Amino acid sequence: SAASPGAWRGAAARCRTRRGCAVQRKPEYDLLVIGGGSGGLACAKEAAQFGRKVAVLDYVEPSPPGTKWGLGGTCVNVGCIPKKLMHQAALLGSALKDAQILSLSALFLFHSCSSSLNVRLCCFLPNRKVKYFNVKGSFSDPHTIRGLTKGGKETILTAEKIVIATGGRPKYPIHVAGALEYGITSDDLFWLKESPGKTLVVGASYISLECAGFLTGIGLDTTVMMRSIPLRGFDQQMASLVTEYMESYGTKFLKKCIPTKVEKLESNRLQVTWKNTDSGTEETDSFDTVMWAVGRAPDTKALNLETVGVKTNSETGKIIVDAREATSVPHIYAVGDITEGRPELTPTAIAAGKLLAQRLFGQSSELMDYDNVPTTVFTPLEYGCVGLSEEKAVQCYGSDNIEVYHAYYKPLEFTVAERDATQCYMKMVCLREREQRILGLHFIGPNAGEVIQGFALGIKCGATYPQLMKTIGIHPTCAEEITKLHITKRSGLDATVTGC
Amino acid sequence: MSPPLLPSQLFLCYFTLFVVTLFFWGPDKVRRGLWDMLMYRSPAWSSQGVPAGPKKPPSELLGLQITLLCLGAVLSRAMAAAAYELLVLGGGSGGLAGARRAAELGARVALVEPHRLGGTCVNVGCVPKKVMWNAAVHAEFIHDHPDYGFETSGVRFNWRTIKEKRDAYVRRLNEIYENNLNKARIDIIHGYGKFTADPEPTIEVNGKKYTAPHILIATGGFPSVPPDSEVPGASLGITSDGFFELEELPRRSVIVGAGYIAVEIAGILSTLGSKSSLLIRRDKVLRTFDSLISTNCTQELENTGVEVWKHSRVQAVTKSPSGLLEVTVMSSAPGHKPTMEVIRDVDCLLWAVGREPNSKDLCLDRVGVEVDARGHVVVDKFQNTSRKGVYAVGDVCGRALLTPVAIAAGRKLAIRLFGGQRDAHLDYSNIPTVVFSHPPIGTVGLTEDEAIFAHGKDNVKIYTTSFTPLYHAVTQRKVKCVMKLVCAGKEEKVVGLHMQGLGCDEMLQGFAVAIKMGATKADFDNTVAIHPTSAEELVTMR
Repeated sequence: SAASPGAWRGAAARCRTRRGCAVQRKPEYDLLVIGGGSGGLACAKEAAQFGRKVAVLDYVEPSPPGTKWGLGGTCVNVGCIPKKLMHQAALLGSALKDAQILSLSALFLFHSCSSSLNVRLCCFLPNRKVKYFNVKGSFSDPHTIRGLTKGGKETILTAEKIVIATGGRPKYPIHVAGALEYGITSDDLFWLKESPGKTLVVGASYISLECAGFLTGIGLDTTVMMRSIPLRGFDQQMASLVTEYMESYGTKFLKKCIPTKVEKLESNRLQVTWKNTDSGTEETDSFDTVMWAVGRAPDTKALNLETVGVKTNSETGKIIVDAREATSVPHIYAVGDITEGRPELTPTAIAAGKLLAQRLFGQSSELMDYDNVPTTVFTPLEYGCVGLSEEKAVQCYGSDNIEVYHAYYKPLEFTVAERDATQCYMKMVCLREREQRILGLHFIGPNAGEVIQGFALGIKCGATYPQLMKTIGIHPTCAEEITKLHITKRSGLDATVTGC
Repeated sequence: MSPPLLPSQLFLCYFTLFVVTLFFWGPDKVRRGLWDMLMYRSPAWSSQGVPAGPKKPPSELLGLQITLLCLGAVLSRAMAAAAYELLVLGGGSGGLAGARRAAELGARVALVEPHRLGGTCVNVGCVPKKVMWNAAVHAEFIHDHPDYGFETSGVRFNWRTIKEKRDAYVRRLNEIYENNLNKARIDIIHGYGKFTADPEPTIEVNGKKYTAPHILIATGGFPSVPPDSEVPGASLGITSDGFFELEELPRRSVIVGAGYIAVEIAGILSTLGSKSSLLIRRDKVLRTFDSLISTNCTQELENTGVEVWKHSRVQAVTKSPSGLLEVTVMSSAPGHKPTMEVIRDVDCLLWAVGREPNSKDLCLDRVGVEVDARGHVVVDKFQNTSRKGVYAVGDVCGRALLTPVAIAAGRKLAIRLFGGQRDAHLDYSNIPTVVFSHPPIGTVGLTEDEAIFAHGKDNVKIYTTSFTPLYHAVTQRKVKCVMKLVCAGKEEKVVGLHMQGLGCDEMLQGFAVAIKMGATKADFDNTVAIHPTSAEELVTMR
């Protein structure tokens, strides 16, 4: 608009004067955090604990369909938390199947989700030492952030040190007509007021599979469309077991398919056209909802990073950081999903943010260790893992130097309910040398998240196969099967667990 | 009596017998042919019409001797190969594990079991218990269904359905165990084995005697019931064994005991809809557990609707004409006058007041195997009893009455005896345990009190947390999760972990590995959390 260049000039002028002051006076804040998600808040809270003056800027740009939310970032609003609640709802749905109850009518619980989460949010900024601004921040010089409220009001903030933790948002495909107009993303799914009905989820990431999983679980007709392999970056044997189970669970899969266009029909349904790259044919079907889960991208453009010289990866747009989370500008740091090459996980962002604050203000030199980060995919049958995938271990050490112990087991709760446990599987990748250090552990089954956490601790401590075997099992649990692993892949023996 | 022979050995024996029979009573022609062969001549039946070659000096005696020698050699070799090296008394977790591992290491093993294979764990313990616990968990979840958006009106629970399915599963396991033994070429001797007074340790089963250089006692235990002389009418009650025979869900249950079995059964019965009372002698259940757990568990039992009668003892039990029981209970809280009350219309009185070892009828005195005052077989850390060549594992020893402990001890013993690892023995420290209460309890290592006793109050640091798991964020029913880390020394080595809450059952195993390895609080802190789980709270404690 015509007014904005003028406003810009005005702001720039003010900045300049501010900067002039800043040279003589100490900046207003010791630490300024842009982004009130998991990583940013953890860093801010930790810094405040050292008695520092801290400010957090948070602003949520509404998603294309118009969804917006408050402080807390992806995890609590449109990520882990609502996802896990929906996963649990879906598990209850399948529990109903176990209980042989035929009719189940599923209602969405997004509203109750979000209201109870506000309670949780209250504990995020417990002390008044952290000042919160609901503004969109961008750099005007290396120590100055210009914040704009929704109404266009401007705030200028100066700080000694600045942490960028603005995370990422779901991507929309560029070359699919109608994608943006008619499609939604995970940002919107959890805030829908009504059931999405028959849903097409495009993508094969964990987000896609998790969403498709719980939608199936609450009784919706759900289809996943994937271009190539599921769960890229994860162990592929496990990934295919995860999708195999989902297929038997009722999720439909359109493999090797690329969407080409989305159109709205008169019935208000969405007609999706895609190309099957296997057969080369064009296919079409109609859905009530189309959800894109084709990856996430950071929103670095609005930050005006070029002005201050913070380097980003031109391909991903993510900020390049070193082991200390420092960017190319010495006093500017970045944590969480926005950083290049880091896992996009809440706990890593939190840990990195905390450690960063400790290094900045607490005379610590401890670096964040990104090795052996455990994670769990909350698909209908959960998949938890820590350390290297089998492929990665082969690549790093060679197949002759690793030993893979594996087992197909049957959880007790599956046995009596006569549920198929074909995909309940675990494997442990160890070095083959005498000590047999554990490189990776992969577990598919109920409660995988709760199972893998403790093992992650053990593996972090450098656990070896004999050490694991020395631990007495807990009977009857699924986790105990890990301490009983003894069939190697190399032996070619049947890995099905039979009795105690 | 010697053990049966392998098929190949049997074949050799029968073949030799067959040849000998032919030699003495076969047709003349065959007899003559055999005789010729024995005399190193070409047999008569193949040399018809052809003049016999030069005759060797006939020495009939020598031939006969060679025949007998061959026969003897074959038989004795067969016998030697078939003699048992290990006899196992008891086909439960410990016995089966020891037998199978020994067989894998090449030993000839026989296993004596009077009942179904699998022992307590499979038939009347962990396995059917967990199945019932799962049923109870379903019942709990049904309460949460409306909160999660599911309409579930008119859900009815049918005890018979789950009982039938459970029994079928247990039978399947029994078969699997039998197949496993057969596959491992372990002989199953059905019957009750007792020691005899023979000079070498010998077992008698159904009148037949068996012996082996190594004998393993793995006979387990059984639930105790107070004698009628102590509590009149006590025998009208059942035990955990009887719990698994119940054909219907009792309407009114009284469970006596404060141990984990009492807690688990009270939880299952109450959650599935039986009005349940738990009678405990003091003010808390699970008193050997960490105080956090015993306090919280008592609280949770009351929250889930179990009537906990504290400071209470059963005085008498009578059967009313209707067939239901009347349980007279004396409650005497400290500082209060004892009161006497009667619980009426009880259709299930269940004693869970401890377990006793199955050692009395083994005639252990005949071989000089020492037992303690309560009848537990006394063993050293290598599972050796006081008699050389006789060992014991599992519940019969009275230490850590857990399936995986018995299994591990049985395997270690087999490895020591037949695997050449002379030092193999089970480390009884840091054994993780789960109590399938509602919610489940997980515990490993020292309690806070034990740690203070062992390390001194100043050297023990405690971390605790209490939170509502995410699952309950949207439910009206709130069940909290409590956790405690017990750390010792300057380096804050984690020596104990105690928790109760949703998911704690599956959570514990991995942490047990780390604690066994000597993980410190700093190691816990350095582990990245898995979000959102309850387990992550353990690595983010402050």
